[in-house]
Amino acid sequence: MSSERAPASPAQMVHLTIDGRPVAVPKGTTVWQAARQNGIEVPVFCYHDRMPPLGACRMCLVEVEKMPKLATSCTLEAGEDMVVRTQTDRVRQAQQAILELLLVNHPLDCPICDKGGECPLQDNTLRFGPGQSRFVETKRQFRKHVRMGPVLVLDRERCILCWRCVRFGEIVAGDDALKGFERGYHSQIATPAMEPVRSKFIGNTMEICPVGALTSATYRFRSRPWDNRTVQSVCPHCGCGCATTLNVRGADLTRTRPREHPEVNDIWLCDKGFFGYEFVGSPERLRAPLVRRDGALREATWDEALGRVADALRSTSPEAVGVIGGARSTNEDDYLLLRLFRGVVGTNNIDFRVETAYPQPTSRAAWGLPVAIADVERADAIVLVGCDLTEEYPILWLRVKKAIDRGAPLVIAGAWEPEVARWAQHRLIHRRGGEAALLRALAGGVRAEDGAAASGAPAEAIRAAADTLRAAPRALVLAGEAALEQPGAERVLAALDELCAACHGAPLGILRGRGNSGGAQVLGLLPDMLPGYRPLGDPSAREAVAAVWGRPVPSAPGRTVRGMLEAARAADLEVLYVVGADPASDYPDARAWEEARRGLRCLVVHELFLTRTAEAADVVLPVLAYAEKTGTVANIEGRVQRQDQALLGPGVARSDAEIFVDLASRLGSPLAVASWEQVFAEIGRMIPGWAEGARLAPPRPGAGAGRDGAGIPDGPLPRPEGALALVAGRRLFDRGTMAARCPGVRGQAGEPFVAVHPEDAARLGLRDGMPCEVRSPRGALRLAVRVWAGVHRGHAYAPRGYDSAPVSVLLDERGPVAVTVRPLGAP
Amino acid sequence: MPEPLLTRYLGQPGREEIDAYLATGGYRALARALRERTPDEIVAMVEASGLRGRGGAGFPTGRKWKLTPKRDGETRYLVVNADEGEPGTFKDRTLIEGDPHQIIEGMVITAYANQVHQAYIYLRGEFFLGHRRLSRALAEAYARGYVGRNILGSGFDLEIVIHRGAGAYICGEETALLESLEGRRGFPRLKPPYYPAVRGLYDRPTVLNNAETMAHIPHIVALGPEAYKSYGPPILYSVSGHVTRPGVKELPIGTPLREIIFEHAGGPRAGRSVKAVFPGGSSSAILTAEHLDTPADFESLQKLGSMLGSSAIIVLDDTTCIPAVIRRTVEFYRDESCGKCTPCREGTVWLSQILDRILCGRGRREDLDLLDSIARNMTGTCFCPLGESVPPSLRASLRYFRDEYAHHIEAGACDVAGGPHR
Ligand SMILES: Cc1cc2nc3c(=O)[nH]c(=O)nc-3n(C[C@H](O)[C@H](O)[C@H](O)COP(=O)(O)O)c2cc1C
Ligand code: SF4
Ligand code: SF4
Ligand code: FES
Repeated sequence: MSSERAPASPAQMVHLTIDGRPVAVPKGTTVWQAARQNGIEVPVFCYHDRMPPLGACRMCLVEVEKMPKLATSCTLEAGEDMVVRTQTDRVRQAQQAILELLLVNHPLDCPICDKGGECPLQDNTLRFGPGQSRFVETKRQFRKHVRMGPVLVLDRERCILCWRCVRFGEIVAGDDALKGFERGYHSQIATPAMEPVRSKFIGNTMEICPVGALTSATYRFRSRPWDNRTVQSVCPHCGCGCATTLNVRGADLTRTRPREHPEVNDIWLCDKGFFGYEFVGSPERLRAPLVRRDGALREATWDEALGRVADALRSTSPEAVGVIGGARSTNEDDYLLLRLFRGVVGTNNIDFRVETAYPQPTSRAAWGLPVAIADVERADAIVLVGCDLTEEYPILWLRVKKAIDRGAPLVIAGAWEPEVARWAQHRLIHRRGGEAALLRALAGGVRAEDGAAASGAPAEAIRAAADTLRAAPRALVLAGEAALEQPGAERVLAALDELCAACHGAPLGILRGRGNSGGAQVLGLLPDMLPGYRPLGDPSAREAVAAVWGRPVPSAPGRTVRGMLEAARAADLEVLYVVGADPASDYPDARAWEEARRGLRCLVVHELFLTRTAEAADVVLPVLAYAEKTGTVANIEGRVQRQDQALLGPGVARSDAEIFVDLASRLGSPLAVASWEQVFAEIGRMIPGWAEGARLAPPRPGAGAGRDGAGIPDGPLPRPEGALALVAGRRLFDRGTMAARCPGVRGQAGEPFVAVHPEDAARLGLRDGMPCEVRSPRGALRLAVRVWAGVHRGHAYAPRGYDSAPVSVLLDERGPVAVTVRPLGAP
Repeated sequence: MPEPLLTRYLGQPGREEIDAYLATGGYRALARALRERTPDEIVAMVEASGLRGRGGAGFPTGRKWKLTPKRDGETRYLVVNADEGEPGTFKDRTLIEGDPHQIIEGMVITAYANQVHQAYIYLRGEFFLGHRRLSRALAEAYARGYVGRNILGSGFDLEIVIHRGAGAYICGEETALLESLEGRRGFPRLKPPYYPAVRGLYDRPTVLNNAETMAHIPHIVALGPEAYKSYGPPILYSVSGHVTRPGVKELPIGTPLREIIFEHAGGPRAGRSVKAVFPGGSSSAILTAEHLDTPADFESLQKLGSMLGSSAIIVLDDTTCIPAVIRRTVEFYRDESCGKCTPCREGTVWLSQILDRILCGRGRREDLDLLDSIARNMTGTCFCPLGESVPPSLRASLRYFRDEYAHHIEAGACDVAGGPHR
């Protein structure tokens, strides 16, 4: 979309004088910006360039000729022939006056304040403030600091009431997390009744708070800014690949901060990005290889462990070897994985999509965004289908919010109300399984009444949403896991194509994949794809790869994750090699996994922790985490970014790449690899355009290309009387392998639960908070009841990502499941 | 001395009811306006009348209406400011409680003149009686077809909603009022761009006027601008404090303070003399007995560094301790500051702390310069007029009554006979 942007009309320029210097700026520029662009610094507190000016703190006063009063430069638009002075005695006097007033009620406890050393109040006071205070009265007092949940510490005494944090919640995140309470000198930043703050973006307020009023509970007293080493990195969590800076003190990761990237995260992060780093330093990290001896996993040398793996690979025919994972590794790791398994071992049983039982061929439905993340904010309408945006891809929400603020309508379709539903102009909450019919009705392919009958969403609402979409010249359609993780996914895809076509050829984003899924996909960690989205079936593509590798590439398509598990059950797959994944918890059918595991002769796992999968393995290889190795990753828009090593790994842990290289040597085909850069360059020989910062967007077949089943009607899921259709969704704050070891994330996740509609709750005798048993034909879980009107009637919502209660226990790879929810007595 | 216009029937029993209002020609101006005048003609009449807004700023009403863009298909609003929070001011309340139909009639004419179909009255929350009477009057006006759909068969529609404030002085400031009306915290908005006329309620053009301003409108339309002007033009002074006959006085604008206080408000108690006066609410700079011959109009008071404001005259006699009065007003602004901007939020609390100390006998000689310096630092630096209202009176009092402060500091006690504290 960015390429289609109209060329900026030659901006009308305004000429003014600032401190005697003639200056020209585009019309609409503020005096503060004009000064800044010309290297003149005017101090600010309330102004933040990502939000409209407020004019509250009065720090930025300047003198303007012909204006009787000093003017706040942050709010004043530069005018033709304006004469501005920023350095006069009057201005200095005013700056000192404002600082003196701000300090009147500031505790000046810099020596014990985390902000000390990177504090705008300190800096401005030093440069623009009065030498001493004339204040001899009593300062305003509050309880010194208040823990506002697991990550935020609020110190109202330090707050200078610049309102940035409040406005961030109103304007940028739209979550209204922090608000101003009381008025005048009683004004304070708080939440209602000082409850824990509820936000997915609160870390950003700590970044933009110009004092130490909002600080991080996880960073508290951990370091001083000047003691931190900074290392460029990329957030490993949701798949958006936000640019980050790691702060390291000695051997400790002290915090993660956003690194400005205008095309990806701008200057923001979500709270998983901010606080999801502590797992790296967890004492539970695996420090040495483990091999199964006498039925138990015991520590071993690398030589012994890799010897076992090499033996297993050598003694197994290539078709009986499978590889799962790769979305947690770097591109270079993944590329060497391919060289080892496709090239040396000779198998195409490779698939990074651990968390799906209904994989669609990548050539037809590649995961990811076809537009840049930054382009999302430029859409004229956004349709969100089966995607809980703030839970799954929070940073995208900030772009969607900007689009909404520009006037773009948001249309939501899903089996439950996503958190951002209140921003939607149209909410189509529907039955699971009704997606295709609903989308076709939105597209105008079937009557709204038929869409309504099949989906349970009101026809009137469908019609209204369809009208809205038809009026938007450049809509964007985003579909998520909840819409596509089902047997009818092909039909949903066809309906999505129909909708995109009806929306004047709107781009379709498939919001799936986490961590480095984007890299794994572009490299072809897939049973039927080669690097650069070239199909395995294309002989010339295979030859090109073989030419670089010096080894042939097997031509028969491999198995998907589900196929591998089926093959293992049938004893057709003997060795399963899992790289940074936990299928035992995450494959959406726990029993299918267990049966598959029993069929395997050898299970090898690369891991940071002893996950469920690792516990069941024959060989567990301890690997380095993202902060411990240098390399590149690619995000959901296919953008390649570099992350640098910040720390040494624990014990004798190695990178995935080192392990693959070692195994290749043991298998008699050494890979000559000297550095990650060399691997990176070799990838470049295979993928045109491969470069740091480049975006290798997933290809999109034209609408309808090869997607079948558009005509097959949808029907509701047949289920026994009283049972509820189970829907599983992701939560940003969960208790998965990494999150569970990050107190800042774990603490916000709470306990796993099942959400049911109030009507169903009443019928089934369920009350909020009550323990219950959720039973499906596949298994049962004990969960807490949450009564929630946001879920469609007749459905039960359970979150994924809680390793203590994996919803995969209930799921069935063969199709949707119905569950019974039975109360287990009062809480 | 012309007959009163706005307050002629005030105090007559049952005046708040529609029949009494109709009996004295009420709603006839509306009927004529709808029948005989185009909206633009009404705007022109109001402009010709010279009416200046009665909310405090004194902005010419006709000009304000002209500044409100009238674009086809764009919603416009009328918002009537009946928040009346300025200390010493009670003219709006008097009208609302005593003759509410005047305001409603003024609103319907104003709405017609500005082609507005949705109006709000932002009513001060503490006006319990006023709310009852105004609500009832509005219901009557709806029932008789003076408000609602197709008013008097003219095809003109107007809905009026009464919204009660929650007790914040700042919500009388027009942009904070709009924020509050929209359901947000009462913070004033940035001007530009948020001039209510252009980007007001829900970011739409909004005619925003004071309640008394509305009450003038039917008279201007009924009499014509020239005849209206011959009544003064009239203005309501709220006179309070140390006078024997306090109350709302309808007089020609520019009546000298002395005449208002001594002739119309009965003058001070026997044996007492006027020591000081706020001529336009607590936000206007305090004046002394020497200034009593000043005409109470916009220009003359501005020349003295004070203002007509809401024309609330607060009279203080010679039993008054001026530092205590100033402390009380500073406390008012301290408590009512919205907290948005630094100088007002922090300056008012600091000033009140110093004044406290002085009045408790713990003043220091340097405190007077400090007070003046803080007040100077607040001047011209606040976001809105609330904060800017604090320095003028404080600084004027330091000029006119410096000895009183000095005495407190030196003696640790008050030298005013009969003063309220040691
Ligand atoms: C702090 C502050 C408080 C105000 N309070 C009131 C009020 O209570 N009633 C009122 O009519 N105007 C009040 N005003 C003035 C309004 O902002 C606005 O100018 C007025 O309502 C416009 O009406 P008018 O043009 O009819 O005077 C206040 C202004 C300020 C700065
Ligand atoms: S907490 Fe920080 S960001 Fe929020 S208002 Fe106070 S100083 Fe500003
Ligand atoms: S001057 Fe500032 S703090 Fe005071 S009321 Fe106005 S905006 Fe609020
Ligand atoms: S930075 Fe301009 S007023 Fe705060």
